[in-house]
Amino acid sequence: MPTSTPNSGAPVSPSQGRQLAPEVIDAVQQALSAEHAAVWTCSLATAFLQQDNLAAANDGATAHRARRDATERLLRDVGATPRPAEPAYLPPDGQKPVSDAASAIAMLAAAETDGAHAWHGVLERTDDGDLRRTALDALTNCAVRAARWRRTGGIAPFAVPLPGRS
Amino acid sequence: MISAPAVSRRGVLVVGALTALAAPLAVACSTPEPPLPPDPLTELAVQARADAAAAAAIASAQPGLAEAAGLVATNRGEHAKVLQAELDRARPPSPSSSAAPTKSAAPTPPPPDPQSAKTALTDALTAAEKKASELVLTLPNFRAGLVGSIAAGCAALREAVR
Repeated sequence: MPTSTPNSGAPVSPSQGRQLAPEVIDAVQQALSAEHAAVWTCSLATAFLQQDNLAAANDGATAHRARRDATERLLRDVGATPRPAEPAYLPPDGQKPVSDAASAIAMLAAAETDGAHAWHGVLERTDDGDLRRTALDALTNCAVRAARWRRTGGIAPFAVPLPGRS
Repeated sequence: MISAPAVSRRGVLVVGALTALAAPLAVACSTPEPPLPPDPLTELAVQARADAAAAAAIASAQPGLAEAAGLVATNRGEHAKVLQAELDRARPPSPSSSAAPTKSAAPTPPPPDPQSAKTALTDALTAAEKKASELVLTLPNFRAGLVGSIAAGCAALREAVR
């Protein structure tokens, strides 16, 4: 298995012929899909959340939009067509549709959990130092927001041991 | 591989000059192989075990922190387990050493008050996240996924402790 070394030189400029293996591009596309879903979920949730949780949902929306846009740019730079967003998203199997604050928080936690899984999928497939940094940052942020929403919603355990894997 | 002719009795006797060469070679043959460099995951495993033990001590000493510290103990214990499994997979333990996996540090008594206990938990999680995040960039893919997940797991635990 190839080993990545820390990037010591100039940062890789995606526009200068950066290449990613097909399975890495596929993993990034899945991460993009998770970001689309998270943006949508944050927007939906704001309609149901109490005032004291609105700021957190808005922060999440802002962070996921920025990540979504950066991920689309990255895909275009390596010659791939970014996957578009779906018109709407459903809560995971076994969760009820969003109809109040509690179900909105549960869906926010689920969207962040999905994001952690998708970015972990990128992390374990790429040797590209910059992409690894991006994937680790996204995985960590999703895991932190998932824990925050689980705590807010009283969903135990508040933190899973291995985000993206468990 | 060092071969026999280099240290054969006759060669050594006949060509005296060779002894200077042959002697260190003979020593090299008789000493055990130098130990492999430590696996980079060893340090993470030791720290995870120590963090789990410290959090368990806080959980029993501070009732107000029992839940949060208990979760840290559980999750850091899980980190120690998966790291040890990966260490054992990469270098299967020899039968003689299997009884003693990586040693854990001597337990320190838990901080006396809730606030310093909480700070101790948070600081340990921050240090563990930092160490794991740095290592992620140097590891092969599979391990990058594992260690990145541990870094994210430590960051998430900080939210649970807050």
